Amino acid sequence: MYLGVDIGSSSSKVALLSGEKKLLSTKVVNLGTGTKGVQTALDELRAEVGIPAEQILYTVATGYGRLLYKGADKQLTEITCHAKGISYLMSHVRTIVDIGGQDSKVIRIDDSGKVVNFAMNEKCAAGTGRFLEVMARVLGCKIEELSELAAQSTQDVAISSVCTVFAESEVISQLSQGAHPNDVACGALRAVAKRVAGLCSRVGVVEQIAMSGGVALNSAMVDILAAELGYPVTPAPNAQAAGAVGAAVLARELYEKGMRQQA
Amino acid sequence: MNSANAIIESLCEKAAHPARTVMESCKETGKAAVGCFPIYTPEELVYAAGFLPVGMWGGNTEIKLADRYLQGFCCSIMRTNIEFGMRGVYGKLKAVLLPTLCDTLKCVCENWKVAVPKVPLIPVVYPQNRTLPSGEVYLREELERIRTELSRISGEEMTQSHIEAAFALYENYRRAMRAFCEAASTHPKTINAKTRHLMIKAGYFLDKADYTLQISALTEYLNQLPEEPCAMRVVATGLLSEPVGLLDILAEHDIAIVADDLAQESRQFRTPARETGDAISRMVWRTADMRGCPFLFEPEKTRGEMLIDLVRAHRADAVIAFQMKFCDPEEFDYPIYKAELEEAGIPLLYLEVEQQMDSFNQSRTRIESLSEMLI
Repeated sequence: MYLGVDIGSSSSKVALLSGEKKLLSTKVVNLGTGTKGVQTALDELRAEVGIPAEQILYTVATGYGRLLYKGADKQLTEITCHAKGISYLMSHVRTIVDIGGQDSKVIRIDDSGKVVNFAMNEKCAAGTGRFLEVMARVLGCKIEELSELAAQSTQDVAISSVCTVFAESEVISQLSQGAHPNDVACGALRAVAKRVAGLCSRVGVVEQIAMSGGVALNSAMVDILAAELGYPVTPAPNAQAAGAVGAAVLARELYEKGMRQQA
Repeated sequence: MNSANAIIESLCEKAAHPARTVMESCKETGKAAVGCFPIYTPEELVYAAGFLPVGMWGGNTEIKLADRYLQGFCCSIMRTNIEFGMRGVYGKLKAVLLPTLCDTLKCVCENWKVAVPKVPLIPVVYPQNRTLPSGEVYLREELERIRTELSRISGEEMTQSHIEAAFALYENYRRAMRAFCEAASTHPKTINAKTRHLMIKAGYFLDKADYTLQISALTEYLNQLPEEPCAMRVVATGLLSEPVGLLDILAEHDIAIVADDLAQESRQFRTPARETGDAISRMVWRTADMRGCPFLFEPEKTRGEMLIDLVRAHRADAVIAFQMKFCDPEEFDYPIYKAELEEAGIPLLYLEVEQQMDSFNQSRTRIESLSEMLI
């Protein structure tokens, strides 16, 4: 069996793949690098599948905390792993949008799940999950409730600042002037979508487009991004764990490659 | 082998400690130092005036004083230079030469006079139309003005023979640097991405006569070694490939810089001078002959084509754009050469850099993703 471990900035994900390339289980714990998140996810996985550690033939770690995970045979970036994971889960996809807690990526892949081109946001929280976290805090809701609020929006509220710090002040100002929280939530999602659409234009969008990562669970975000891009966007099944799934698929490929080389 | 290793070790050390290196160079040569701002300064004239030309390519330091003149959205090299100037780090310089090749440099030209009044500033104003006869006449007069100013500061007349000798030395230096870069491209184990950068950078703090001898000896040694393989070969473009922490990541992944189009590196020495004419004419024509640099007006925009040629000539797998944050001239060129590289099927990695960077996590992910594209 093959293990994929994805330690992000705000959550830890693990995936287990059989020798026959069947996805056995995935676990997501909302605690990121530097916490017990990854251990908790692994404990949950082992409790469910009940496999001894020695049956794991190869482990690939990915994500922001990949270099700190001691149990990995190899570390690969989340870009490579998301590409492989989405290719495994949705073979027809050629463009992936991954909005993570710390950064956003747009990845173009070929039919084997190999990265053809990619772009990441610069060192700034604009267009990332962190931006949405800050907006949710100002609106006094949980990040997962932003989608529900945005779905009930009736009026456009533009958040023009791309900087998260300035956008926070802008949202406070909008609310104090009587803007409805539903409209502000929708404006926040649109601000992220615009930023990510800009990244998409850097790599060039090729259909079909999938969204991976935790923000893909936000259905309003997916719809707004699709409207910004002018193409349909499909949230990946198991979106949050797509990177871990890709890591597990790559673990299997690397193990088999190593065995072939030995033979 | 030992002497080559000694040269590598010594030049790495000198590049890593510019202030100490410049002090030692001044002591050894008996010369006073004159600062040379990026991107291009007529260093030959500084040398001919009997000074030690010193490159002023910023550095990694905390910006405290420079905010008074240059805000956070200005190029970090210029912020660092003003910071060092205000702190007195450049207090020993007899003068600084500053070319007004971008909007920030134009502002710094005025800022410097107020912020660092004790170090005289000599502006260098290049003609926009370098290749027109009128542009050549203008640049000749500009170089003559700089010659007069440097003579005034040194207290001695700069003769034609001084200029000819300095120009010959600099042509020799440029030839040696081109040969070094070629030799380094086939020996990425001995000269990895970081070492290559430091070898070139050290030359900005040493007397060119001594430095050229050292780099030529190193090239000769490299040319005797068999070719060395590496995991990935890249061409670097942009202003400069610092902070060196980024180059450590390249070296860690066995990614070699096999050629470059960096302002701090090959753009300084890749254009040879014409064979005939007096030294000042050859300086003028060399400026006119420079191609593919965003700081010099070039309507044909040959940079993309040059990058493609470099990739093909050096069997490179990709291009890395070290994009200095807030550097407008470099940013204006990026979409043009990006499209040309894409059309040629050459992968391009965009790395935004600034000299005050201290976290490389995101850059690491980008570099590793590029190398994983070859798995």
